[in-house]
Amino acid sequence: MNKEDILRATDASIAHLKNIYGDESETLIADARYGFISGLLKDVLKKPPVDRVTVSDKIDKVIVNRWAGIPIFMAIMYGVFQFTFTLSAPLMGLIDRGFGWLGGQVATVSPNWLGSLLADGIVGGLGSVITFVPPIFLLFIALSVLEDCGYMARAAFVMDRVMHKVGLHGRSFIPMIIGFGCNVPGIMACRTIENPKDRLTTIMINPFMSCGARLPIFILLAGAFFTQNQGLVVFSMYLIGIIVAIIMALVFRKWILPGPSGHFVMELPPYRRPTVSGVLTHMWERGRLFLIKAGTVIFGVVILIWLLSSMPWGIEYASAESWIGQIGSFLAPIFGPCGFGQWQAAVSLFFGFLAKEVVVGTMGTIFAVDEGILGGALATQLGWTPLVAYAFMVFCLLYVPCVASLGAIRGETNSWKWPVISLLYTTAIAWIAATLIYQIGSLL
Amino acid sequence: MTSNVMPLTMASYGKPVTVVNIRAGFGLQKRLSDMGLLPGTKIRIVNSQRAGPVLIDLKGTRLALGRGAAQKIMVTETQDG
Amino acid sequence: MDKKMTVALAGNPNAGKTTLFNNLTGAHQHVGNWPGVTVEKKEGNLNHKGYSITVVDLPGVYSLTAYSPDEVIAMDFIVEEKPDVVVDIVDASNLERNLYLAVQILEMGVPVIIALNMMDQAESKKHLIDIPTLSHLIGAPVVPMTANRNEGTEELLAEIVKVAKGEVETRELRIEYGREVEEEIAKLEQIISPTSLALKYPPRWLAVKLLEGDKEIIGKLKEVDVE
Repeated sequence: MNKEDILRATDASIAHLKNIYGDESETLIADARYGFISGLLKDVLKKPPVDRVTVSDKIDKVIVNRWAGIPIFMAIMYGVFQFTFTLSAPLMGLIDRGFGWLGGQVATVSPNWLGSLLADGIVGGLGSVITFVPPIFLLFIALSVLEDCGYMARAAFVMDRVMHKVGLHGRSFIPMIIGFGCNVPGIMACRTIENPKDRLTTIMINPFMSCGARLPIFILLAGAFFTQNQGLVVFSMYLIGIIVAIIMALVFRKWILPGPSGHFVMELPPYRRPTVSGVLTHMWERGRLFLIKAGTVIFGVVILIWLLSSMPWGIEYASAESWIGQIGSFLAPIFGPCGFGQWQAAVSLFFGFLAKEVVVGTMGTIFAVDEGILGGALATQLGWTPLVAYAFMVFCLLYVPCVASLGAIRGETNSWKWPVISLLYTTAIAWIAATLIYQIGSLL
Repeated sequence: MTSNVMPLTMASYGKPVTVVNIRAGFGLQKRLSDMGLLPGTKIRIVNSQRAGPVLIDLKGTRLALGRGAAQKIMVTETQDG
Repeated sequence: MDKKMTVALAGNPNAGKTTLFNNLTGAHQHVGNWPGVTVEKKEGNLNHKGYSITVVDLPGVYSLTAYSPDEVIAMDFIVEEKPDVVVDIVDASNLERNLYLAVQILEMGVPVIIALNMMDQAESKKHLIDIPTLSHLIGAPVVPMTANRNEGTEELLAEIVKVAKGEVETRELRIEYGREVEEEIAKLEQIISPTSLALKYPPRWLAVKLLEGDKEIIGKLKEVDVE
């Protein structure tokens, strides 16, 4: 007996059964199993003839309502952001004051270079990142609640119609929302999408979802340049991210990865009251990564930037003559058309590739101030206007996914091709968008 | 008494229906049958979005089906639940 | 020295697998990837009554066929790694749907314990489940639990140890597929039995899988030696 004999016998059996029943043997087997189960349940299970209308059904009547579903989704997302910002503002003020005080204390440490490293480098740079722990953790809490209570699956159902128009389906929406917390789990959540082209497209648009690490940049700049409409300006970043993602999904599905999309089949879990421990575990699993990043990558980068700002020996700290100033000056012309062609901006964006919080951390180190007055420094020392700030925010929103996200894309697609494409096309889009905003805005 | 066979997308909201057959490819058919949706199964439409997905009650669980999948599921109205 | 054993956790998505996994292993878990694919593999450890137990969280699936990578992983782990016990988490408030997977695992003839989860929800829906009869009819221990409230974890552990010690018999579940199908199963079983495959897998299970057109199993035919 060998493989061919067995296969031939199998095919003969399948054909024989199809002849008799007109059905695939696979269906016959599934039927028999379900038959066994329903026979079993007759002996084992007693239940009321019809399941009562459950609480879940009542909630669903409203939540996934044909007309109200999408407005309710928008309202919930707006609520999530309000929750995040309102609660985090006082905490951020507190942390900021703490670092301000700490910076003052350590600046007097001798020798001078050590005082500068501690105050300008570590407190200035790391402090400006740590300040954003409250909003990031609160955002993770809100997203965990949405996931644990069962709403996330409903959002996928409600958005299926919209996603269908861009060649995807509802399931692709869940990784997008998770991406608001962090793109890495967002990209990994794409695993549940069966159709390979749907999956790849959903992976490739995920970096446009504005993750928690970009929040520091937005809050900083919106706070400094848009005091009247802070919330609205930050919210607009999220919207721009979604719009660009949707446009790119359309582009991918139409020209780059054409073909029919998979079927949307998904079980909606019943609503459950989220448990405090469940939500906190979830928040911690994700928030932990942010803290680790702050303690390792960002800490290291901050020291590197301090070093580059202090060298060569004898120059004024973080001046154009410093090494960092030279790197920045070399890159700056690229960003001229976008309105932020200063070396400080260029170098922040350059290091922001490692992690987007680093954009703020780098500026904090260069200007040797903490987050509270950093925004002001951009206006006075670089001469930024609200328009430049907005173009810069849009650029930060769209340009290269961070190293961790690229790593996730590499892992999930099992190729180097897609992370490289992602790096190039997102940066091109960011440059074009920022340039358009700045140039058109300047004309007005 | 049973009425005509129609795609799930055309069945009326709230009424119990019975699956007659699933005119889909191997993959979808298999996936649905693994989840307990196969010819003979009684289901009920809980929610149907205009030109959008359909939400059904399948033995007590809620299953969301995209319009494309729902169109391939042929059902007939059941006289009582 | 504690005796080592491996427990695999199987179950439908939304049946409470992750919660049970956390209840069992607490903080002693680590996350890796299944070989060759990017699906997350979670493993945890615990010590219980002289056993050092490794718990492997299989991907949540509705069925065990070669339909998706998740299903292939779950099935491969059970047939290739031969865990000492497979715990199948079943949502008690949705028995019919969840038993489909349970039946398939039971057919494989491996030691299975059914963890009947979400008993609280079944009760609130007024579903009465005759657990002793269920256990008798499927030939495997059934442990009721509500993982959300960490109820039933100890009872499950006790049952795992009993199965490991061989104090509880678990038997291969035999489903009658109807006369014509059974005839074909018998024919294929006869062809498979003399081959080396039969040493590794139960022949009847292989025959059913072949009739299902399972691509994974067809792939395994390559291992066949002529005898």
